[in-house]
Amino acid sequence: MSEIQGAPAQGLEGQAAAGGSSGRRLNPSLLIGGGIVAVVVVLALVSYVWTPYTPMRVLAVEPYQTPNAEHWLGTDRLRRDVFTQILVGARTTLYVGFVAVGVAALVGVPLGILAAMSPGWLGQLVMRSNDVLLAFPALLLAIMFAALYGGSTRVAMIAIGIATIPAFARITRSGALGVMKTEYVVAARAAGRSPLGIAVRHVIPNVAGLIIVQASVSFAIAILAEAALAYLGLGTPTGQASWGRMLYEAQTTLRSAPHLALIPGGAIALSVLGFNLFGDGLRDWLDPKLEGR
Amino acid sequence: MPAMRTSTKTRSLVAAVAVTALLAGCNAGSSTSSDTGSQDGTGSEAEGGEDTGDDTAQAPAPGGSDETVRIGLVAEPASLDFTTTDGAAIPQLLLDNVYETLVSVDVESGEIVPALATEWEVSEDRLTYTFTLKDGVTFSDGSEFTAEDAAFSLERVSSDAWTISLKSQLDVVESVEAVDDTTLEVTLSRPSNSFLYALTTRVGAMFDTEGVDNLAEEALGTGPYTFGTWDRGTQITLERNPDYHDEAPYFAAVEMRYFDDANALNNAMLTDSIDVVSTVQAPESLAEFEGGDFQIVEGTTNGEVVLSMNQEEGNPLADADLRQAVRHAIDHQALMDTCWAGRGELIGSMAPPTDPWYEDRTGDYPFDLARAEELIAEAGAEGTELRLRIPSLPYAVSCGTVVESMLEDAGLQVTIDELEFPAAWLETVFTNKDFDMSIVAHVEPRDMANVFGSPDYYTTYGTEQVQTLFEEADTGTEEEQVAKLAEAATLISEDAAADFLFLLPNLMVADPDITGLPTNAIKESFDLGELARG
Repeated sequence: MSEIQGAPAQGLEGQAAAGGSSGRRLNPSLLIGGGIVAVVVVLALVSYVWTPYTPMRVLAVEPYQTPNAEHWLGTDRLRRDVFTQILVGARTTLYVGFVAVGVAALVGVPLGILAAMSPGWLGQLVMRSNDVLLAFPALLLAIMFAALYGGSTRVAMIAIGIATIPAFARITRSGALGVMKTEYVVAARAAGRSPLGIAVRHVIPNVAGLIIVQASVSFAIAILAEAALAYLGLGTPTGQASWGRMLYEAQTTLRSAPHLALIPGGAIALSVLGFNLFGDGLRDWLDPKLEGR
Repeated sequence: MPAMRTSTKTRSLVAAVAVTALLAGCNAGSSTSSDTGSQDGTGSEAEGGEDTGDDTAQAPAPGGSDETVRIGLVAEPASLDFTTTDGAAIPQLLLDNVYETLVSVDVESGEIVPALATEWEVSEDRLTYTFTLKDGVTFSDGSEFTAEDAAFSLERVSSDAWTISLKSQLDVVESVEAVDDTTLEVTLSRPSNSFLYALTTRVGAMFDTEGVDNLAEEALGTGPYTFGTWDRGTQITLERNPDYHDEAPYFAAVEMRYFDDANALNNAMLTDSIDVVSTVQAPESLAEFEGGDFQIVEGTTNGEVVLSMNQEEGNPLADADLRQAVRHAIDHQALMDTCWAGRGELIGSMAPPTDPWYEDRTGDYPFDLARAEELIAEAGAEGTELRLRIPSLPYAVSCGTVVESMLEDAGLQVTIDELEFPAAWLETVFTNKDFDMSIVAHVEPRDMANVFGSPDYYTTYGTEQVQTLFEEADTGTEEEQVAKLAEAATLISEDAAADFLFLLPNLMVADPDITGLPTNAIKESFDLGELARG
């Protein structure tokens, strides 16, 4: 019994991460990244209650305006307000991140845990299938999906999500393997707790930190993938605001109206940087071993 | 199959450009003597000191140079055989350049002019056409072009050797006979106004009786150029035909370079990798070429950008009031200014200004938002949801966005679906008619009857009234043809069978000293014979 009681105290860094990390120092990456992420979230939320003009509406104004008082970020070739598109495009950016990361985490995490908890052929099968999927480039998979099911944001992001499953499965498995060796899990198994119970009660809380970090990094990858697909004309379809699509549409006027490419390009770069920094910051914050580095 | 044809062409024919070869055909006799002589040498411009002054003053240097001109295009042909392979890229490359036809079209007036036939007579009953062929014409392998070759070529169209659907254009031909070496007699089963015009297109191409064994890879014709090399995926080279029967072309060779997209094409022009952009695919990018370093050629095409409306029973647009509302709700000038940089022409119906039966029908449904709203109210269609399913082509995507905004201003709900072109668009819109509205450019010459002649076609119009007009137009006299087709165009416009957004412009960019570029692109070919560096 003493072993079991003692277990939580020895609960490795993962346990600490899931529990109390409030005392940790907030690092610059986390602050800057978190700030940028917050701005993107705020832009998206604001777009639901207010936009300067009707989203995607062709206006009776001059095209190619540079930023001015009427149109804060100018107007595009089709006389649409750029700032409005940036606001509404933030929704797409977050949407793609959530869909892709959602798909990847919902499938990848259980697979990783399954692999860690079934050391026999099942675990092998899961991880080897994972390796096969890992060999498949995410963008290629998305392009294939677009060819099969037509270009749409959701289809593209499900494809990106599927391609990101291995990342989640691996990181979950490696974290879970560590947890499975801990004394309290050994004890729980000895006490006859069901595998599902162990997974929910002990494994998931202990690998949550790892997953959150991975999610943040994958979020950035998804944003970039959406932009790349929209740039190829395969992602977000016409009539929907997306930063990648804005960039795509700006390419024919790159020389005469560079701001139309710079604005969405900057937004994409900044948000990708933001989510990456946020992921790094979270990792440092959650991982005591790195503290003080 | 016409489906495939129309649509593959939409993309590539937008790029198809034509030049004024026919003018050359007309005054050929006067100037032949001077140029055939200089073929062997390096050309008079390079060598001859005396007449260089004239050469630079008048645009095309008659003797020709040993220079190669590089032309940028967007659609590479799939094969060289347009008798069995659809697609506009093949005739664009080969027709009028390698293969010639008996008659051709004047790109300025739209009239039919002599080519390999110097003249033709039509019998009283309009069933027999007697062509007098030009004497002394040879194929590039040296064999003579005679009426026998012409008869062979035309008869071959009706045989199983030709498989493309366009061959039906010569279904009206009953018999073809080579009377003597330079006289060809064609008998029709019924009078047809479209017959002579059909001869100007690929079905009228003249082949050598001995030269049709490997059409996919070899092309043997009488034209100013011969087929050179094909570097697949990159370029096709045509070389000057040293024995050409007419004024020899200026350039010793032509490199047709194929690009995947508009930007790559533009960049090639800006970096001097090509001398001519055959068709500017993104008119908003023209600003890059303004300022004197390049010349910009702007003319018209046959490409009517049609906003089709599915009027089959049960669809919202079966209601004529609603279709009329759509036409009133669109400010065509603003639309063209916005989505195609103001380049192009407003037409109002299915006939370009280069067709003899063209009438300006833009006044039928002037932009009138109040009237549009009134009509929508009458139809009880406020807030009706319409699916605008467009192909993923630059003009359709840009203009679709503008149409959406304009119709929503009038109180309709529009959702845009961008369908991959050609496959997805063809299946959904063209074949299954699962759409309310679509946007596509119909680029074939004189295609009003094809596009609006049948209720089974994707435009779902083809009323009996209009079908009768088309029939009367083809069998009647030429005057009747013009009158009946003008009437048909009026009817199509008034019935709001579709909306006609605008006519695609012919936009070319070239080095400032290139001459002989066609203003209007209304033929199937990109006629290279007149190109020169002035």
